[in-house]
Amino acid sequence: MSEIAQLQLIALAIVGFGILILLFIKSNFFRVTGFVSIVLGLFSLMSLAVPQMASLPPAEETIDIAAIKTPTDIAALGQTIFFSKGQCALCHSIGPSESARCPDLKGIGAKLSREFLYESLTDPAAFLYRDYRHGGVPKEYPATMPRIDKDPIGLSNNEILAVIAFLQQMSGEPISISVSELEVPGQAPSAPVKTAESAPVAVAQAQ
Amino acid sequence: MSVIRQGIATIQRSLRADRAHGAWLAGFLLAAGLLALPSIGLAGEGAAAGPTEYRDIPYIGSRNLVWIVAQLHLLLAGFVLGVPIFAWLCEVIAWRGGEQRYDKLAKEFTKLLTSAYATTALFGGILLFLLVAFYPKLMNYLTDIFFPSFLLYCLLFLFETATLYLYWYGWDAMQYGRKKTLHVFLGFLLNFFALFIMIVPNAWATFQSSPVVISEGTAFERAWAATWNPTWWPINIHRLIANVVLGGYICGAYAGVRYLSAKYKEDREHYDWMGYVGNFIGVFGLLALPFAGYWLMREIYQYNQQMGITLMGGFLSWLFIIQAMLIGVLFLGSNYYFWLGITYRIPGSQAKYRRPIFWMLVSLLFCLAVWMTPHSLVASIEEAQKMGGAHHPLLGVLGVMSAKMTVSNLMILITFMSFVMYWRAGKQDAAGWAKLGKAVMGAVLVLASLAVVVLGVWGYFVPAIVRINYFSTSQVLIVIFVILTITPLTALLLKSAKTTTEMVWGNMPPRAGYSLVLNAVMVILLMTLMGYARSSSRVHWHVYGVMRDSSPYAYSPALGSASLIMAFCTFFFCILVAFIFWVATMGDKAKAAQGAGKTDLPHGIPAIAGGAPDREGGQ
Repeated sequence: MSEIAQLQLIALAIVGFGILILLFIKSNFFRVTGFVSIVLGLFSLMSLAVPQMASLPPAEETIDIAAIKTPTDIAALGQTIFFSKGQCALCHSIGPSESARCPDLKGIGAKLSREFLYESLTDPAAFLYRDYRHGGVPKEYPATMPRIDKDPIGLSNNEILAVIAFLQQMSGEPISISVSELEVPGQAPSAPVKTAESAPVAVAQAQ
Repeated sequence: MSVIRQGIATIQRSLRADRAHGAWLAGFLLAAGLLALPSIGLAGEGAAAGPTEYRDIPYIGSRNLVWIVAQLHLLLAGFVLGVPIFAWLCEVIAWRGGEQRYDKLAKEFTKLLTSAYATTALFGGILLFLLVAFYPKLMNYLTDIFFPSFLLYCLLFLFETATLYLYWYGWDAMQYGRKKTLHVFLGFLLNFFALFIMIVPNAWATFQSSPVVISEGTAFERAWAATWNPTWWPINIHRLIANVVLGGYICGAYAGVRYLSAKYKEDREHYDWMGYVGNFIGVFGLLALPFAGYWLMREIYQYNQQMGITLMGGFLSWLFIIQAMLIGVLFLGSNYYFWLGITYRIPGSQAKYRRPIFWMLVSLLFCLAVWMTPHSLVASIEEAQKMGGAHHPLLGVLGVMSAKMTVSNLMILITFMSFVMYWRAGKQDAAGWAKLGKAVMGAVLVLASLAVVVLGVWGYFVPAIVRINYFSTSQVLIVIFVILTITPLTALLLKSAKTTTEMVWGNMPPRAGYSLVLNAVMVILLMTLMGYARSSSRVHWHVYGVMRDSSPYAYSPALGSASLIMAFCTFFFCILVAFIFWVATMGDKAKAAQGAGKTDLPHGIPAIAGGAPDREGGQ
């Protein structure tokens, strides 16, 4: 029996308990208790009927540098990060979308230089609309771009480079990130997810 | 061990000697001791291994235990902070209006505060011990930041306790003249300190969701910066209103239960009236609550998009469907109680109001259906292919914020009109300008409803930022405008109105009592649900973006399993409140039994419509 089924049985038992009290007990206090049990049981049954999604902490992914042989491998890694740990797809679309809260990233790798992309990810408020020109009145977006190298997303340098490689690849541009640029653990310091121990006085107020 | 057993036996003997009910208290003390035991044992293990970040407890798990105790503490705190507001409002009504039954009602509820206050403090103490034991690293970090506010909190408790003692024990001594004014001022002070007792720990909790951490400055400056975080005031306002709602509906539920068990006519009249007052204060707060909730959500989005998306569009999105259901049932329950009041308390009005009530019910159900419509549907691959995606071609349109904001505002308007209808029932306008006044009110209501709907539909065709910043805010302002316009106009109109049918208390059917209980359960469930939402929105962070949760419990459980813990917390809280009411009214029952022997009258004040003098006033 699945966990959900077990929980549903418990909730049903609570409802049944309440019904039994209402049917056989005369004391008003216990009848009210039975009524409350029915309400609570129904609430649990309703909550068990909707899609059950738990929020799991992101796995501490390690990039196996040895497995990355070509720029295409870097872009493939970047695509994974774009849709998972990087959380880019929560706001950005690739191609026009009505539900996107932030600019469409289709072709962004061709419009912006690699350096500008890096800066847009790590210091989003540095230059606004410098190269990314709109036709007509600039569109306002409800979301503000967070610093992607800081918590809570906290991408490492390798991961940021991988995302840039993906953006270039999906824009039809040659990938300008080479395998040699990736930092090998132990040789150069990477930027792991910072915790309070590593950044006890980090200013975490969102921009 | 034998010393401990002896000690327990001594306590139990002394309690038994005192009164039979002491066994309950002993049970609670033992439970508190048992809760603390594992943490002491496990703390020893942690100490030997060096600095400990987390400790655990077998079977139930440290996170679940802290969750339950924290939720119960929060609910009790809401009750303890909501009841003084409720009691003080009733006292002021009695003081200014001269209706002594309100003063007695206020006193009846203030009496609960002493025992409720101790129970809340007991759970607060258990929570603190558990947090220190299970989360030493986090508590160390929070102490480092908030140390000055801990001291302030202790001071506030001292002031609150002293004021509560003066307020409660001085009730009879400060009944008349200037002394009564002083007593009312004490009531104000009680609520003033209570407000600060609420907002200081709110700073600790909101800091975890929206931290502001500075490295420079004195301890006070750092604490102040952390306190004044982006979600602090939205939570303060939201909780303040929610506490009023909780206090009102719990008063209503208490009255409902007593009404169901009442054997005498006077008791039925008294508890029927008390249920009405509780429901009225609950609804009064409920009308404002969605606005406060909207502001809080807006601040969360402005603070951090990801947190907002986690809540509204991420793994917690279905939670808001459940929330809509609970709020919808609460609105329906509150309206239903008003409608029962019109039908049973005002003889002859049933036929007159049947049609408006029917259409109000239909409108409320329609609004609830829209509010509960999910944005994306649970569908099989075949169904999704037929629909062309997870969004239903028709229902998908209703599952967006524009539609939900519109129907929530309409539900507030309908509930407000239910109250106005109840208010006006059994009265005939006598003012010369009555026709014009009613026309103006009707026009305001119709135009406002149309404006809310138009803005809602228009919201589909504008960028989200325009809808959030201007349209939704305008809808809220329109509804507030309606309430602020129609309430004084109706009050003015009724001042000169003739009463055609006297209100008859004590005739409500038993289902009225159950509807009051249902409303209270809905409010408590909502508080537990939103507690889970607020905590889960931090995902795997103790302090969002600053201190990561690296314990085995760094995940948020799915809604289904969480709902059982919420249901347990709600049930246990109801039992605790029932226990508090029982303990607090034990003396009254004894007195009433003695009094009944002498005068053949049960306790309770006869409450007659139109503010008839109570027993004391009549004597």
